[in-house]
Amino acid sequence: MDASTHPARGGWNSLARNYEARIARGHALVGGKVVPADRTTALLEAVIEPGDRICIEGNNQKHADFLARALAEAAPERVHDLHVVQSNIALAPHLDIFESGIARRLDFCYAGPQGLRLAQLVAAGKVEVGAIHTYLELYGRYFTDLTPRVSLIAAEAADRDGNLYTGPNTEDTPAIVEATAFRSGVLIAQVNRIVDKVPRVDVPGDWVNYVVEAPKPHYIEPIFTRDPAAITDIQVLMAMMVIRGIYEKYGVTRLNHGIGFDTAAIELILPTYAEELGLRGKICRYMSVNPCPTLIPAIESGFIDAIHCAGSELGMERYVSERSDVFFIGRDGTMRSNRVYCQLAGHYADLFIGSTLQIDLEGNSSTATHARITGFGGAPNFGSESRGRRHGSPAWLAAGREAHRQGMPRGRKLVVQMVETFKEGLSPTFVERLDAWDLMDTFNMPLPPVMVYGDDLTHIVTEEGIANLLLCDSLAERAQAIRAVAGYTEVGRKRDRQMVEMLRARGAVVYPEDIGVDKRLASRDLLAARSIKDLVRWSDGLYAPPARFRNW
Amino acid sequence: MIPARHSFQEAGARARIRALLDAGTFREFCGPAQRHTSPHLPTLGMPVAFDEGVVVGEGAIDGRPVLIAAQEGAFMGGAVGEVHGAKITGLIERALDTRPDAVVLLLDSGGVRLHEANAGLIAVGEIQRAVFDARAAGIPVVTVIGGRNGCYGGTSIIARSCDRIIASEEGRLSVSGPEVIEAVEGVEEFDAQDRALVWRTMGAKHRRLIGEIDALVADDMEAFRGAVSESLGKSRPLDLDELEAEHARLAERLARFEGVSDAREIWAALGVNDPDRVSEIEADEFNRLVATLEGARA
Repeated sequence: MDASTHPARGGWNSLARNYEARIARGHALVGGKVVPADRTTALLEAVIEPGDRICIEGNNQKHADFLARALAEAAPERVHDLHVVQSNIALAPHLDIFESGIARRLDFCYAGPQGLRLAQLVAAGKVEVGAIHTYLELYGRYFTDLTPRVSLIAAEAADRDGNLYTGPNTEDTPAIVEATAFRSGVLIAQVNRIVDKVPRVDVPGDWVNYVVEAPKPHYIEPIFTRDPAAITDIQVLMAMMVIRGIYEKYGVTRLNHGIGFDTAAIELILPTYAEELGLRGKICRYMSVNPCPTLIPAIESGFIDAIHCAGSELGMERYVSERSDVFFIGRDGTMRSNRVYCQLAGHYADLFIGSTLQIDLEGNSSTATHARITGFGGAPNFGSESRGRRHGSPAWLAAGREAHRQGMPRGRKLVVQMVETFKEGLSPTFVERLDAWDLMDTFNMPLPPVMVYGDDLTHIVTEEGIANLLLCDSLAERAQAIRAVAGYTEVGRKRDRQMVEMLRARGAVVYPEDIGVDKRLASRDLLAARSIKDLVRWSDGLYAPPARFRNW
Repeated sequence: MIPARHSFQEAGARARIRALLDAGTFREFCGPAQRHTSPHLPTLGMPVAFDEGVVVGEGAIDGRPVLIAAQEGAFMGGAVGEVHGAKITGLIERALDTRPDAVVLLLDSGGVRLHEANAGLIAVGEIQRAVFDARAAGIPVVTVIGGRNGCYGGTSIIARSCDRIIASEEGRLSVSGPEVIEAVEGVEEFDAQDRALVWRTMGAKHRRLIGEIDALVADDMEAFRGAVSESLGKSRPLDLDELEAEHARLAERLARFEGVSDAREIWAALGVNDPDRVSEIEADEFNRLVATLEGARA
């Protein structure tokens, strides 16, 4: 029997042969690796085949926006019925290709600002959603059943051999490249500039088939910048409770912060409140998080030893480069980020803390709102118990002693939601039934889209106090502990005073005075930086905020 | 390094007055207990403020008597309505009777309250007339700008009618706001989202460099208090010679900078060596720069 054939499959190397044919068509058109911008759509029509699985790189920050537009201009007679497998749906062309029939099926993680339009296209039958994933799940499926045939990626610079420099926003590129290049897929990169020699090689040139210099630099959005001016006294109070009632109590050193104003408040009172408590060197030493500008004062005060980042943040490039003891920096002097590794590090950290829009009485939380499909991103992986964890650490073991009071001892990851009892417009955060149930019906999902499940959650922090779910022995107790911190919401007003007193005596409900948090100190005066300008001052002028955040 | 704790910008109207005046000297007129509220807002279904969004009263700075008004930027953006304006007008008119060392106006406003359009416009005119009456009587009127709303619309006209303007770098002074300009002239002409552009066009540093404000201070209560204290008792002449000189100066400025499209070109023409750095430097370094430029010009 011919070594290259197989009776059932017809061949052992059909993917590779198909790849060769695509490259032959592409080279016939453009002659080499470097593609003139105005030939991009023609190239895509030549190398993409109907029904292909395709990835258009789009991360939290960096987007292959030029290639996305070029694909949207392809002729639907030639390129159609694509199956898009990519993390973010963020730009109009990501959905234009569904409207025109170029693409039909979609597996993704996060939709953000395009969530409303995506929902409309799903309703109109233009988009068949395979599933909504977390980042780790989708990239996991890249290495099982959803490997892209063609990936359109973005980098800062390329040389003529196709070696790519991604700059500080490496983000998802390594995962996409690895899956595509090693399963006979085609890689096309848009770059901001083609140079003789790249500052460092993030992607080796022989994995990359084509590079095109985009007419405009790829789109980057500063989504992790929180202006300290918008942090409220209430958020400072909650941050004080988190520091005393959780970070200090368990001795949390390795953690992941969400990106909202609540966690920014924690970061900004480390150099003041936590410093006065003598907690420097004892808490918050290693973080898995993007280089949020609100971290600058804590870094400068010597709180944080190391930070690994999923991506970068606009304006933070020079600051990060100058702090190579703290950040992961290439030999060229710029940061190297990596979403998959950051997610992995955060999953096995001691603590995740984030915010959400709704929490029910079991502690399930959801950011789903009516009429939108937004997806999950990375929070479910950060915000879940790491059941595969085996190594001990003081925080993990201390939480484990509360979680596993009988039987086999083991550790427990701390998963914390930090929310105010009411959101903007006086809608309650605490509800009997999540909107996620309605969303499931509306969009025919297999399950309600829950961001963090109640059995993964360990603490809820509100302006009223802390519910420690580890110390609740039944669902009834859990519900009362949640009601106890739900303030004047309907849910909170239905609390049972006696149950709450019993839970408080046990430590399952903690009010500020129980942990020595003086509410009178809870004001913006505690913030180490109260404006973007203060952050620039803390950074010694190294942080260069984007124009939209300035007031000078 | 932990920055100064007493931000003027973050404080409310009452906290600003408390921090600027000698402790315990403030006596409020028409306070919230008297509920002089807007008659117009309830007819539109809008909530009122018991102090109408402005605090007025008298007190002392370094032992010297002053009348003081502070707009509350958190209520309707500090906008001027009929009663709001009447409180300020009444305060300034009182100066003719009590002859304080200054009338101090802490302005933090987008201008006229559109819900009370004509009444608000008339109120601005009345305030302006009261300012001129006080000045004519030799009583200095000092404007202080450092709130989040800046000083726009009708309030900017009031500000420029006063003897002196003191502002922090965060302060802005302009007739039309960024969004208005963008809406009328298009985003190509003025991108209101580009806050660096907004501040270098309307911000206090630019206004100081082109001579429209008199003192730039850090966003710190003590710095504001010091600058206000220095202006007590110092009035500027308000006569025909002065006005003609001012008109001549404005005409010359217009002719000189008419073709310029960005404030940095103006700064360079004024002798600033590194215009790109102007936005970055702190108040003291900026004031040294201004002193150097004024020295060179003199």
